[in-house]
Amino acid sequence: MSKVVVVKYYRDARGSGLTRDEYRRLMSVGLHRLTGESDMQKAVRKLIPPGVIGMKTNCLTGKLNSTPVALIDALGDCLDEAGVDDNDMVVWERTSRELAGAGYTLNASGSSRRCLGTDANRIGYSQGFYSSGEVNSLVSRILTDLVDHNINVPVLKDHSIAGLSAGMKNMYGAINNPNKYHGDNCNPFCAHVSALEPVRAKNRLTVIDAVRVQYNGGPGFMSQFLTYYNGVIISDDPAAADRVGLQVLENLRKANGQPPLEKVGRPVKYLVAAGQLGLGEVELSRIEVDVVVVDEDGRPTAGELF
Amino acid sequence: MDRRMFIRCMGCGAVAAAIPQTDLLPEFLGGLQNACAFDYTKQLSSVEARHYKKLETGGIECRLCPRRCMVTDLERGYCGVRENRGDVYYTLVYGRPCALNIDPIEKKPFFHFYPGTTALSLATAGCNVNCKFCQNWEISQSRPEQTDNLDLPPGTLVDICKQRAIPTLAYTYSEPVIFYEYMYDIAKQGHEKGVKSVIITGGYIEKEPLADLLPQLDAVKVDLKAIRETYYKDVVGGELQPVLDRLIQIKQSGVWLEIVYLVVPTLNDTDAEFRELAQWVKTYLGKDTPVHFSRFHPQYLLKNLPPTPQATLESAYNISRAEGLDFVYLGNLPGHPAESTYCPKCSRVLIERRGYRISRQNLTGNRCNNCQTEIPGLF
Repeated sequence: MSKVVVVKYYRDARGSGLTRDEYRRLMSVGLHRLTGESDMQKAVRKLIPPGVIGMKTNCLTGKLNSTPVALIDALGDCLDEAGVDDNDMVVWERTSRELAGAGYTLNASGSSRRCLGTDANRIGYSQGFYSSGEVNSLVSRILTDLVDHNINVPVLKDHSIAGLSAGMKNMYGAINNPNKYHGDNCNPFCAHVSALEPVRAKNRLTVIDAVRVQYNGGPGFMSQFLTYYNGVIISDDPAAADRVGLQVLENLRKANGQPPLEKVGRPVKYLVAAGQLGLGEVELSRIEVDVVVVDEDGRPTAGELF
Repeated sequence: MDRRMFIRCMGCGAVAAAIPQTDLLPEFLGGLQNACAFDYTKQLSSVEARHYKKLETGGIECRLCPRRCMVTDLERGYCGVRENRGDVYYTLVYGRPCALNIDPIEKKPFFHFYPGTTALSLATAGCNVNCKFCQNWEISQSRPEQTDNLDLPPGTLVDICKQRAIPTLAYTYSEPVIFYEYMYDIAKQGHEKGVKSVIITGGYIEKEPLADLLPQLDAVKVDLKAIRETYYKDVVGGELQPVLDRLIQIKQSGVWLEIVYLVVPTLNDTDAEFRELAQWVKTYLGKDTPVHFSRFHPQYLLKNLPPTPQATLESAYNISRAEGLDFVYLGNLPGHPAESTYCPKCSRVLIERRGYRISRQNLTGNRCNNCQTEIPGLF
C-alpha cells in the first residue's frame, strides 16, 4: 500500500505564507512519518540514495503562486541535516528566467547549492529522444546528466486543461515540447511524460506545496480563486501524491462553490493512465493517507484531510 | 559573447544543408557585414498575435490554424510560439529567426518560379504539426527559448535582399504559418520594395488568415504529406481535409502553386495512393500544377524505415503522368531525368537540372523554344 503524508500547519498562512522555519517543521514531521525514521539522515537515505539530488520547482506564475523559496530552503535544510552536501543539491526549472521571477537566486556554478534553468549555459536538452507511449521528447540534461535523483516540488492548483496540476504535470517542465501534449485533458500525455525513463527512474520523492491553493482558473494566477490549505503533501509514490492532491483540490473547489472537475469538462483522466502504466497507486482506498497538524513547536497531532 | 556581427547561419547557395549549422559563421556575409548588424537575442518578442478570439469564459481561441487551440493564461498553443498573457495572445517569434540562408529557389523546391534565382530563406522555431519524418525537427519541434535567435526586423531582411540583389524571400524550414505576423509584415514590406515572397508550408492554416496572406505572396509550395486522413492523424499529427481545402483556395487565388509529396516507405507509397493523388490534383487544381515526389531519408522518429527506393518514386512519376499531370518531378534523386522540365506538347527538355543546378534552358520567356507552347509558372 502506498503512503501519503499530509502535513498541515496549525495556523492559517494567509498573508505572508509560511516561513522557512515553518516549512521546515512540516517537512521534518512529514519525512519522519513517511519513512518511520526519527533520524533525518535515516529518513532521507531511506528515500534517496547517495548522489546529486535535484529539486524540480514549478515557477510558471512568478512570485504569485510558484514553489515557494521558503519550501525549497526548508527542504535543503532537511537534506543538509541528513548529511547531503550543498554541492549535491540542484534546484531546477525549465528556464532560469522563471526561477528568478519566482524569487530564486540563480547559481549555475558548482559551488554551494545550484539553482538554474535548463536554458543555462551548456545545459539544454538530451541529444536523443526519450519515448513513452505517445510522448517523444528531449529531456532536460539537468535531469539526465546533472542529478542522480529528483525531488518533485510542485504547487497544487487547478489546471484549465488537465484539471489538476501537481507532481506529474510539473514534469512537463522537464521536456522540450510540452506544448504538444495538452490535448484531451493532457491524457495520456501527463502519465507518459512521468513514464519517460529519466523521469521515472530518478523520481524519489514528491512534495506538493498546498499551503496556498488556486482551486479554479489555473494555471495562470487568479487571486479570486486562491484559498489556503496550509499543508504539504509528501510521498515517494508520485501517482498517489497526485491522487491525494486531487482529493484536496476537489474538496477546496466544493468548499468554494465550484463544481467537480469532471462536471466542467476537466476530468483528471491522466491519473487512470498513470495507474495503468504502474507509475503508482491511484485508487484512494488503497492509499494510506496520514494527516497530521503541526504546531509552532513542531509537535504533530492527528488531523483530517479536509 | 560578442553580440555584434555574429550570425549563426548565413549560408550561400552551395550550402546543401537545409538546417544551418552552428559553425557556419559570417564568412558568407560578405559586404553585408558593414551594412547590417545581426545580433543574437535571448529576448522573445511580445507582438500581439493576429487571428485569435478572446473567450467569455476566459482564455483565448487561436484561429490561425485548424487546431484552434484553446489557450489559458500563461500557456502556449500547440505550436509553442504563441502565448496567452492575461488573455492577450502574443507571438514570441516576431523578428526572431533561428535559421537564415541564401538558397537556390530549386531547393524549396520551386521549378516553375524564376528558375536559377536565389531566395533569402528563413524560419523561426515552432510548428503546428509534428511529422515523424521531419528533417528540421531541431527547430520545428523546439520552443523559441531553445533555439539561438537573431534580432531581425522585417525591414532588415528586405534591405538584405535589396543590397545583395536577392529577388525573393522564402519562409521555410519549419512551418511559416506559426510565424504568420512576422512573415506577413516582411512580405508586405518586400512587395513595397520589389522583393517577392514565397512560402513553403504544410498548408495547415485556416481559411481567413490564408486569404489575408495570399495577396502578399508570389508563390506557395504545399507539402501535401499524404492523400489519406489516417496518415495525417498517425504520422503528421494534423488533418488532411483542411489542407485540401486550402490547396483549392490557393489555386483559385491565382498565386503560383507547386506541391511536394514526400514518399515514405510503407506509409504513403502505394500505387493506389499515387493514383488518388494525381486524380485529385488534376480534378481540383489542374493538370498544369507541378507535383514533386520527394525521396525520404530516415530521421527524427522514423529512423527505422529505409530511404525511398528509386523504383517507388518512378512508379509515382509514371502513374501521375499516366493520369494526365503535365509537370511531375522526382526530388532528392540528383541526376535523375525527372528532375528536369519537359514540354508537355513536344516533350523536349525545357529546363535541364542536376540537383539544384540548371545546366540548360530551352525557354524564351515562358514559351518552349521548339513548339512555342506556353509553360505555366513565372519565368
